[in-house]
Amino acid sequence: MTEIDLSRRRFVLGTAAGLVSTRLGRAQSTQLTAQVVTDRIRAAIGSPWLDKTIDGFKAGDPSTVVTGVATTVMATLDVLQRAAAAGQNFVVTQEPVFYGANDEPGNRAQDPVYLAKKAFIDQKRLVVWRFSDHWAARTPNQSAAALATKLGWRSNSTGGAADYLIPETTLGALIADVRKRLEIRGGLRSIGNDGMRVRNVFVSPGGPTVPSTAEALRQADVILTGEPREWEVVPYALDTWASERGKGLISVGRLVSESPGMEACAVWLRTLIPEVTVTAVTVSDPYWRPQS
Amino acid sequence: MTAEQIVARIQKTLLEKGITWRAQTVDTFKAGAPATEVKGIATTGMATFDVLRRAAAAGRNFVITHEPTFYGHTDETTGLRGDPTYEAKQRFISDHHIVIFRFHDHAHALRPDPLVAGSARMLGWTQYASPSEPRIYVLPPTTLGALATEVARRLKSRAIRVAGDPTMPVTRIALGPGYGVPALTSSFDVAVGGEAAEAGGNAEYLLDAAAIGQKKGLILLGHMMSEDFGMKEVAEWLQGFVSDVPVEWIPAGEPFS
Repeated sequence: MTEIDLSRRRFVLGTAAGLVSTRLGRAQSTQLTAQVVTDRIRAAIGSPWLDKTIDGFKAGDPSTVVTGVATTVMATLDVLQRAAAAGQNFVVTQEPVFYGANDEPGNRAQDPVYLAKKAFIDQKRLVVWRFSDHWAARTPNQSAAALATKLGWRSNSTGGAADYLIPETTLGALIADVRKRLEIRGGLRSIGNDGMRVRNVFVSPGGPTVPSTAEALRQADVILTGEPREWEVVPYALDTWASERGKGLISVGRLVSESPGMEACAVWLRTLIPEVTVTAVTVSDPYWRPQS
Repeated sequence: MTAEQIVARIQKTLLEKGITWRAQTVDTFKAGAPATEVKGIATTGMATFDVLRRAAAAGRNFVITHEPTFYGHTDETTGLRGDPTYEAKQRFISDHHIVIFRFHDHAHALRPDPLVAGSARMLGWTQYASPSEPRIYVLPPTTLGALATEVARRLKSRAIRVAGDPTMPVTRIALGPGYGVPALTSSFDVAVGGEAAEAGGNAEYLLDAAAIGQKKGLILLGHMMSEDFGMKEVAEWLQGFVSDVPVEWIPAGEPFS
C-alpha cells in the first residue's frame, strides 16, 4: 500500500464520518430515539419519577432510533424475536429481561441461555426498557382495570377502586369463565367451594398483599389475583373458611394477570408515540397440569 | 413438661449436632404461653386454622409449625387487629390453650434438611440422591410428562403446575424446599420445588432456553406439597428425644382445590 492510497483512504473515511455525524446531528432534533420515547412517558406518567426504581434501560443503546415499540409483560427471548421480526426494536417490559428483580444475571453471567439472549439483543440492536414501578403507580390501577375489562366487567362497586360487582354467579362458573377468557392452560388454582355465590370480586393482578386483601375481602366474595404468596394471602384465604366467612381465591399466575395491563399500556403509548406502531406482544400461560 | 422446656430440649439436641441457636431467627413462640403444660405435640407445614382445629380435637396443644401462623414471614400481627379471620383464629388459640412455635430456620439447618428429605421420600427419590451434588437426584431416564404424572400421583396433589415440553427427556433433577426452588442452569434438566416468583426467574429462563432449542422443565408442587411432608420427618426426629408426650404430624395439606 502506498502513502497516497493511505491518505486517500483517510480522506474518504473522514468524509463518510463527517456525513454520518451531520446526519446524527439532524436526527437528534427530529428522530424518535428510545430516550425520546421514555422522556415522553416520564412527562405523561402523572406521578413524580422515583429516585429509586427498577424502571429504566436494561439492554441496548438509548440513542437508538426507534422503528416500532413492543409492550410485553415479560421480555422473553421469544417475545424479543417476535418484536424484532415485526420491526419493533424498542421493547417495554413490565417484568425483568435477565432473570432477576434487578436484571443482574448473577450466577447466570456465563450461562449459554443468558449469553444467547444478550447476543440476540446486540445483533438486532434492540433496546429493552423496564416499566413496572411507574406503570403500577398510575391511578386508577391500569393493570386491574384492564384485567377486569378483559373479563367483561365494568367498574364499579360500593367498595374499593378494584372491587367489581358482577352478575351473580358461582365460584365454579366464574373459574370456568376466567379460564376461558384469559386462555389459561394449567396455571389457575383456587380456594373455595365451587357452589359459593359470587357477586363482588376484588381484582388484584401481580402479587397481592395481606393488608389490601384482608381489607377488600370485608366486602368482596372473591379475590382474583396473579401470584399470591403461599405463606401470606393463600393461608389467609384458606383461614376465612375455618373462621366461617368463606372467601374465594382465584390465582391465575403473574404473567397472565398482568398481560391485559400491558395491552392497555400499548394503547396508551400509541397516544404518546404516534410516529411508529406500538404493539402488545403476549406471553401465554407457561403452565400445564400433569395427567391424572 | 412445658412448651418452653420442649423448646429448650430442641435447642440442646441441635447444639449436640453443632447447630447453635441463632440470635436472629423467626423460630420463636407465635401464640400462647410458653409455660403451658403440654399434653401433646403436633408438627405441621403450616399452622392454618384448620390444622389448629384438628390439633385441638386430638389433644395436641403444642403446635410446631414450619411456616407462619399469621400470614407473614415475621408473624407481625399489628395490621391484622380487628380482622375477623385473625381475631377468630386468636380466640380459638386462647380458648383451647394452644401454644404455637415456629421451627423454620433451624429445621433447614439440620443435615439432611428434613424438608427436602421428606419430599424426596414421598416422591420415592431418596435412593437417587447424588452422592456428590447437593439437591441433585439422578433418576432412571423418563420424560417430563411421565415424571409430572408420577409426582402428582404420589403426592395426591390437585394443583401441581408444570412448565416445559412434556416429551423432553429427564434424568437430572434439582429439588428445593418451599420458596427455594433451585435456579435452572445447563447442569440439570428439571427444577422441582414449592413456589417461585414467575417473573425474573425459572419460568423466564425456561422459556428463553426453549427459544434456543434447550429443553428445561419446572415442576411447582406448591409450598405445602413441598414442605408439609418434611414436618413428618421433624415429628419423628422429636420422638427421639421427647417421649413424655405424644408427637404427631398433622398435615396442613394442599390449600388449593
